[in-house]
Amino acid sequence: MADTLPLAEAKSLVARARSGDFTALERLYRTYERPVYTLARRLTKSAEDAEDVLQETFLEVCRSLRQWRGDGSLWGWIRTIAASKALMRYRREKLREWEPLQEELGGAGVGEDIPLRMDLEAALARLPERSRAVVWLHDVEGYTHEEIAELMGMTTSFSKSQLARAHERLRRWLGTGVEA
Amino acid sequence: MSEQRHGTLEELLALRDGEGGAWVREHVALCAACAAELERLEQVRSQLKALPAFAPPRDRWLVIAQEARQERRRRRVSWSSGAVAAAAMLVLGFVVLRHPGTASQDAAVRQAMAESAAMEQVFRSLQPDARALTGRTAGVVADLEDRLAQVDAALNDPSAQQGDPGRVAQLWKQRAGLLSALVDVHETRATYAGL
Repeated sequence: MADTLPLAEAKSLVARARSGDFTALERLYRTYERPVYTLARRLTKSAEDAEDVLQETFLEVCRSLRQWRGDGSLWGWIRTIAASKALMRYRREKLREWEPLQEELGGAGVGEDIPLRMDLEAALARLPERSRAVVWLHDVEGYTHEEIAELMGMTTSFSKSQLARAHERLRRWLGTGVEA
Repeated sequence: MSEQRHGTLEELLALRDGEGGAWVREHVALCAACAAELERLEQVRSQLKALPAFAPPRDRWLVIAQEARQERRRRRVSWSSGAVAAAAMLVLGFVVLRHPGTASQDAAVRQAMAESAAMEQVFRSLQPDARALTGRTAGVVADLEDRLAQVDAALNDPSAQQGDPGRVAQLWKQRAGLLSALVDVHETRATYAGL
């Protein structure tokens, strides 16, 4: 969760940034660079992609500051821009074409050994990108399935099923499942 | 138990998120395996939230600031020389052709446009982009720029004028007034800072 600014301070910083005060813009960047980068790392496949998302996000923030009217969380607004930028990369790279195959293979590459137990970080990294994105946006960032569906251009039931599949895999890989 | 089965993962996740149906809620109250699974799902969520944050490997601020400055400059140039001038001709043409006013009304529109253009020239000469503003001044400037953007939006929308040359002249006067206020703010600050 991001260290959010108090609303009054956020409004003051945004007003200054809108009028061209780059000191205020830098303060916004310093406040949110880490949470934006962390979100981008969770939603993209590499550190390089996450860096690109970080840069694209703040350029969009600079362009669109007038759209934030101060009636909601500044972090919530910036986070949605970051998530959109990260998820747009899926569409560009047409991951949909290969992910269903990976789904059938249970998330593992062909001929790849799966350790009996993993830690959570490794298990999360192993999830297919869209499953990881859904699990992160829902369980950590608190997005609803409706919001995730809108962000990803998919249906609500897609989001729900991706979340269930992701947790099924995590259970298997973390080795803490219950017999059912 | 009304059904001889366990809750599915999707049902248990919905229950964890406060959205589960009546059946699964009742089932979990009676089934130790599903209650344990629900507890495990809650733990996984807590553990996910507790994962450490990542720090960007490089400082991107200078690159972002440079690009943002260039974009801002491009937008300013476009705003001052292109969009508003085009809107002026469009609005004037629309009003005169579709709703001809009296000669004095048309003259009033032209006069207000000329005042706005003159004040805009003064404003540009102060190079507002090159000035860093802080505190209350920045807030005043932002407010004036917002109002200016609203007036420009109205000028870009001929239907909003309702074919009334008086309304068009009024908008151009408002525009000149807002630009004048921006000039005052920047000049006051320049004098205060000894620039």
